[in-house]
Amino acid sequence: MKEVTTLQSIACGGTGGEITAVDSKDGKIVRIRPFRIDERYTAEELDGARWELKADGKTFRPPLKTAPNYFALAYKNRVYSKNRVMYPLKRVDWEPGGDPAKINAENRGKSKFVRISWDEAIDIMEAELRRIIDTYGPYSVLCVGEDGHRESKDLHAGGGMHATLMSKLGGYTRETRTPDSVEGWYWGAKHVWGSGSNKGLGMIAPPQTGYNSWNIIKDITEHSDLICFDAGDWELTQNYGSQFWSRLLKFWESVGKKFVIVDPFCNYTAVCHPTMKWIPILPNTDAAFDFGVMYVWITEGLYDKEYVETHSVGFDKVRAYVLGEDEEGIPKTPEWASERCGVPVYTIKAFARNVANLVTSHAHFSSGSVKTPYSHEPGRTGAYLLAMQGLGKPGVQQLHLNASLVAKENIARSTSAPFSSINQCRMFYPNAQSIPRTMVAEALQTGKAKWWGSPCIVYVETAEQFKEFNYPASPEAVLAMNQAMAKAMGMEPPTEAPKVDKVHMLWSEKPCNMNCWDGGFNYQDAIRTNEVEFFVTNHQWLENDSLFADLVLPVTTCLEDNDSMGAGMIVSMRHAGITPPACDRVGESYSDFEIACKVGERFGVREQIDLGMTQDEWIKYGYEQSRLVEEIDFDTLMDKQYYFPKLDPNWKQLPPGMRQFYEDPENYPLDTPTGKIEFWSEALAEHFPDDKERTPMARWIVGGPAEEGWTHDESLWGERCKAYPLLITANPARFRVHVQGDDIAWFREIETVKVKGPDGYLYEPLWFAPEDAAARGIANGDIVKVFNERGTVLFGARISERIMPGSVMANKGSRVDPIAPHLDRGGAINLISPNNQVSEHCKGFAVTGYLVEAQKVTQEEYDGWRRDYPEAFERDYDPAIGINYNSWVIE
Amino acid sequence: MKAFLIDITKCVGCHDCQIGCKDEHCGQAWMPYAEAQPQVGQFWMKLNQTERGARPHVRVSYLPVMCQHCENAPCMKAAKDGAVYRRDDGLVLIDPVKAKGQRQIVDACPYHAVFWNEELNIPQKCTGCAHLLDGDEPIKTPRCVDNCHVDVIQFGEEAELDLEGAEFLHAEYGTKPRVWYKGLPKKFIAATVFDPEAQEIVESAQVTAESDAGTYTATTDMWGDFWLDGLPEADWKVTVVKGGKVKELEVSTREKDQGLADIALA
Repeated sequence: MKEVTTLQSIACGGTGGEITAVDSKDGKIVRIRPFRIDERYTAEELDGARWELKADGKTFRPPLKTAPNYFALAYKNRVYSKNRVMYPLKRVDWEPGGDPAKINAENRGKSKFVRISWDEAIDIMEAELRRIIDTYGPYSVLCVGEDGHRESKDLHAGGGMHATLMSKLGGYTRETRTPDSVEGWYWGAKHVWGSGSNKGLGMIAPPQTGYNSWNIIKDITEHSDLICFDAGDWELTQNYGSQFWSRLLKFWESVGKKFVIVDPFCNYTAVCHPTMKWIPILPNTDAAFDFGVMYVWITEGLYDKEYVETHSVGFDKVRAYVLGEDEEGIPKTPEWASERCGVPVYTIKAFARNVANLVTSHAHFSSGSVKTPYSHEPGRTGAYLLAMQGLGKPGVQQLHLNASLVAKENIARSTSAPFSSINQCRMFYPNAQSIPRTMVAEALQTGKAKWWGSPCIVYVETAEQFKEFNYPASPEAVLAMNQAMAKAMGMEPPTEAPKVDKVHMLWSEKPCNMNCWDGGFNYQDAIRTNEVEFFVTNHQWLENDSLFADLVLPVTTCLEDNDSMGAGMIVSMRHAGITPPACDRVGESYSDFEIACKVGERFGVREQIDLGMTQDEWIKYGYEQSRLVEEIDFDTLMDKQYYFPKLDPNWKQLPPGMRQFYEDPENYPLDTPTGKIEFWSEALAEHFPDDKERTPMARWIVGGPAEEGWTHDESLWGERCKAYPLLITANPARFRVHVQGDDIAWFREIETVKVKGPDGYLYEPLWFAPEDAAARGIANGDIVKVFNERGTVLFGARISERIMPGSVMANKGSRVDPIAPHLDRGGAINLISPNNQVSEHCKGFAVTGYLVEAQKVTQEEYDGWRRDYPEAFERDYDPAIGINYNSWVIE
Repeated sequence: MKAFLIDITKCVGCHDCQIGCKDEHCGQAWMPYAEAQPQVGQFWMKLNQTERGARPHVRVSYLPVMCQHCENAPCMKAAKDGAVYRRDDGLVLIDPVKAKGQRQIVDACPYHAVFWNEELNIPQKCTGCAHLLDGDEPIKTPRCVDNCHVDVIQFGEEAELDLEGAEFLHAEYGTKPRVWYKGLPKKFIAATVFDPEAQEIVESAQVTAESDAGTYTATTDMWGDFWLDGLPEADWKVTVVKGGKVKELEVSTREKDQGLADIALA
């Protein structure tokens, strides 16, 4: 049989990626490769969709060959991974029914699985759901993972199909995705410059454009001289939908732009572009660095005084704090800053002057200080730096993922939304009872939780953070919410309060919380209790949370589904796509949509989920509902399989980013209470007058002992650092996206990806500065344990000049490989990240910039573990992909 | 004759070349050109990486290395029964049938670009994706070339490639490769210059490195940094001068690149 080529959208976020061609033969993938977009359209036909950027007499246009992300190009390893869940699996010593004697909760993460039939799996699902609903009410089902497995799918996407089904069965408890990767902006900068992108992410966007920042890249290209990569790594994070971004950076280099990266790690962008200036800094000391910079600006008059006067409030308080003219009386001089952040005084001054003297934009990519304990402080000082240089002025912008659309199309809905959508997941829906993801463990362990703000990552304005929420929700509150939602949907509102009980069942469509989120060991403890009578996961790969589940349902990868998926953000040009299956299904997998339909059938609600439509009818329906109908007919779209919408003829005239606020703050106000940039937030002062961690303005907060009312003691200036003297930098990995892709054999062979231990196990690297390794007698390749009170995770030592002394670097997302409770071999660093969130009123996660110690594992210690936990060391292990299906399934 | 041109100054270290090669050849035989490559362990295209310098002046050099398709190919000489042959387009291929059991083909390659397949008892290496060049597959270029999104690797008629300034990897092996490189790393000396009294960086200082290998100059930038790049291996006298202040250092690039400790110009 001849090869057939399908076009796919493979990315590790739900928003799609650049077109990727997949050649297949006999139902099997042969190759995955870039695609020439002029293969099915002429260059003239594409012309209206292709933007141009101009600077320094040079023009840059989107290349005609796509640049799929590096992960997509290795996706054959994911589809055919030895770690795929092939069949429905049941934990061998768990029985349905909720009897503590028969669920063996303590063996979760220890006992293995057996294969069962789909009939048996659905029987269990039906029986357990009926039992839980009858016994406790539907709110005792916690639907975990509204962000899903994070493959790019549309109809077949996970991340709320369980919630969609449960909403037909009377309700559920929502596990709210907390604002990950944007914590500092969300909890801090929102109080400075308002809700921001997607009406709540916290990175800047003007309210007047529906919270979209258009033309940021164009403005930077034309006007910026210097670009600061404050947090995150352009060559990896920005590239998760497409590697186009390497090309843009090269264009910027070719027109003479300058770059600076302030980071504890000399990241993958810094090492490969000769134009990068790397400033090493101690983790989570960015606020001190920023105050030192502000000191230079204030004392040397190097900030935009007029802008601050006309566009902001409360600067006098920050000014007094920086100059030491407040009650604290400590000037935040470069010397003061240097003592804290480890950057030389002269480099802080040079940074301050260069940023002030050159037109400077800041790029932020979801890493570094905005994910730390007390991240609202660096988030706010970051906002202050932009504000003091006239945010919105030509070339003074904040570039972030949601502001990276190069040019607006005619039918664009926003800078991030796809052109059409048939996703049926109940994603980001407010719900009558909910638990923030960061507090699920606490809720299960103590039966209660209290927090402020939903705190949903998107679509929530700043003021929501002043509202208190509780678990369990009171039945009256649930009734009121259900009535309000029914009313909004034009339905008959309920009159009686429902039965609302605590959670006793977890159903996850994103089973990697122990690795992707904070305090993983604590989460494992919570799952190992009898409170959790049934834990089911849908997933493609047997890993992480699924190892702690009672039932695992096999899910298709995006290459196996009949779907329509284009790209909505972080690509050079966005497209609408038709994505039929590229290959036969692996094992007995179904999509999350199909699983919800199968379970729904048992309850007679299937038609409420699939609306009686076939998948082909859904794809056509998606097209018909979209604005694509204005530009292309359905038959042509099906024939070509992709379409690039035409650019808005006026796209170049759209005001870039915060330009209108810059030009006319009275008529284009922010959505802060004063409509201006608030260096000092009266709202915070009013609502949380006693919060000493997030005060009305950013400060240098080091924390302290819990008995003194501090959430964290995770700095080098407290007590815990005596036992745990290293600050860890836990960045996303170069060759994973969050927790995805740790099983890609072709990546695991790359030198920096794993460290082969003397026992033949491929450990996750822990990067040491030579002096820190030497002080501990650690050599390259040694097995090291990284630990704090929360537990111990094993790594392999990698000694490098790329890391700031005093810090060690581990990439998040290596899969868990449990040896015993609180002891793991897999290098999943989030197992030991803090359990207690950002700060008192901010229940997001803190996953980098916290304290650990690292030591060489002695032979005696290693032998002791092998003796005490033989089953953990005897599990099947294949260095090429690590732990796998055979490690956990009894054949 | 076909040739590859690899400009490593453009490389961003994404490994797409290495992955594309594996995607094409691992677990997939393209006979008579090649048997299937094992899933792991062989690198018909390998991106080597070298960390250079010292904090905070650190770079990583990425260097794609593959079969050099040499004109004087040692593997051809080592092979019996014509098991290694050169095509009319210049690509050097191993015949998987004839090469059975000929381990000496692996040992003959000074670039370590030939691998031994234990299971099949054959040597294996880059084919230049000759099956794509000849066949009716959807693309007609080697996968490493097709996958590269920053145009590091070009493949075409040798006469049509811009080979000005290009050189061979390990020209001293004398094998006359058909893989050309641009930007092969030389050595660098880099540092930040500062005024210890004022605690300021020193911009526009003149930096001169002198040795019997030549004289190189640089000027400190707005971070106080200088990068003397493209240096040969030598022992250098480095002089930093600004406003009547002078600092002299002895620095060697014989062993490695030098990211120096910050230089106090007093």
